[in-house]
Amino acid sequence: MLNAGEIGTPAAARAIRPGWFVRHERWVFLAPPIAVVLLLSIFPLIASLALSFTFWDLGVSAGGIRFAGLYHWARLLHDERFLTALRTTLLYALIGVPLQYAIGLTLAVVLNMDLRGRRFFRVFFLLPMLLSPVSVAFIAGRMMFHETQGPLNHALSALGLPIVSWLSNAKIAFLAIVLVDSWQWIPFMTLVLLAGLQGIPTEVLEAAELDGSPRQTFWRITFPLLLPWTLTVVLLRSLEMLKIMDVIVVMTGGGPGIATESLTFYAYQTGMRNFNLGSASAIGFSLLLLAIALSAVFLLIVRGWVIRVSADGNAP
Amino acid sequence: MRPRARSGRILAYLVLAVWSAVVFFPLYWMMSTAFKQPMDLFPTPTYLPWLQFQPSLAAFHALLTDHRNEVFGAFRNSLVAAGGSALIASFLGALGGYGLVRFRYRVGRVTNDDVAFWFASQRMLPPVVLVFPFLVMYRRLNLIDTAAGLVIAYTVFNLPLALWIMRDTFRNVPQEIEESALVDGATRFGAFLRVSLPLAAPGLMASLLICFVFAWNEFLFGLMLTFQKAQTVPVLIAGQVTQQAIEWSSMSALSILAVLPVILIGLLLQPLLAHGLASGGLK
Repeated sequence: MLNAGEIGTPAAARAIRPGWFVRHERWVFLAPPIAVVLLLSIFPLIASLALSFTFWDLGVSAGGIRFAGLYHWARLLHDERFLTALRTTLLYALIGVPLQYAIGLTLAVVLNMDLRGRRFFRVFFLLPMLLSPVSVAFIAGRMMFHETQGPLNHALSALGLPIVSWLSNAKIAFLAIVLVDSWQWIPFMTLVLLAGLQGIPTEVLEAAELDGSPRQTFWRITFPLLLPWTLTVVLLRSLEMLKIMDVIVVMTGGGPGIATESLTFYAYQTGMRNFNLGSASAIGFSLLLLAIALSAVFLLIVRGWVIRVSADGNAP
Repeated sequence: MRPRARSGRILAYLVLAVWSAVVFFPLYWMMSTAFKQPMDLFPTPTYLPWLQFQPSLAAFHALLTDHRNEVFGAFRNSLVAAGGSALIASFLGALGGYGLVRFRYRVGRVTNDDVAFWFASQRMLPPVVLVFPFLVMYRRLNLIDTAAGLVIAYTVFNLPLALWIMRDTFRNVPQEIEESALVDGATRFGAFLRVSLPLAAPGLMASLLICFVFAWNEFLFGLMLTFQKAQTVPVLIAGQVTQQAIEWSSMSALSILAVLPVILIGLLLQPLLAHGLASGGLK
């Protein structure tokens, strides 16, 4: 029996039963990428889980490896540093993403208006996204916020205001990192939301403008139609925010103390500085669990919304 | 024009002006600092070239002479890692994307859409989950601190994105031409290579460039899988910045050099951005 679901194979070719290779030809295309992902993504993923149940000290050249059971996982629950990093990581996403969305949407709406020079601004605003996060953290982080040589404090003192120790105060350093990340990634929000706005037919908006103010049009028509795009960028940015690390390394090194450490940063410290691979894997894996939980909650909320919106007749 | 609409436009221009300043100032700071000398940085910052400081190429000069080996080495490594992984990931992505569009796969209850989603979900994996097993594997295979090791790691990261871009691309590539090639006796794979892939060139280009940029700017794997020999540009920058005495000017100059290839790519991508990326890649 032929089970080739191929499209476009001439019927004549099927009459003569083709050889094994021809019948399985379609796997020539899908097998290589699947093999790569299985070997280099799924296998390491399982290995990472396995590592989290072992004692493996990279510093010992003999490579002593022992079964640890749930030791690392149990320890995490009482590890103040882990719990702090967990909270900080969540806060990066919870504070950073709404801020980036609000500004990104504002910019997208403005860039979608018929304004002079909008083509220039659409390109110009993307520039921060092109820089490596490490460079951004150096430029917009270390240099801007520098206590004595930075332009921000220079401006403050010129205005007769007290200068701020941006990177050595726990709360302010956290905010500075959020701001620097936002500077780089608001353009991404704008890019996607602008694409969404451009997809809304102008007739719909014109019809709505006739019987409502622009504000009403925005909240009743534009915003609901933009919802799929909103959900996409919010989820993508949240997942990215949970992985934050480069900016922290360059701006604060996790400090002051451990105030700005994210889970990725803590895992890195544990694995590379203390050579404790088992514990580092447990920390890394808990970040994955966090990401999965967040996505699941998010998708549940989205399903609820989409059903409600379609019930209103505004199906995206 | 209604007064309300006019005030709306004024507000819009105000938003543009404010955000332009926010985007511009740090970029300006990077560029001006790269042309400053140590005395221009103390005790207070200087802003205007020629009025407050004399622009100098000293920082660039130092990078390209004193730190020549480090800088050239890092650029070579980044180029190999980003270029190699972009090529491999885009080709694998084209294979998978083509397969998912042209054939129907069915294994048990798993169908094409499930496979596509499975690939996409790989992108959600936090890199830190994979990095420790990679470290162990690479020590065994002697891939630590090699550009080849980075090529492999970045290929894994770029594959989901490349596959989605190529899947969207092949959806819009007409089948008729490749069917006539098949009738003329070409094999499926031959028709894919010689007919479909060239027709998908814009999508392939977008995939190559986007993958390149991702790998070029990547930090975590570069940091953990290399030490000296295969150090990439972001790792070099971070390594200098976390030291006590930062050479502000030379780090700014290095950041400028590091972003040049990406800006070049951005210019190349611009025409593609209109259809390729906006319609598919980011969804």
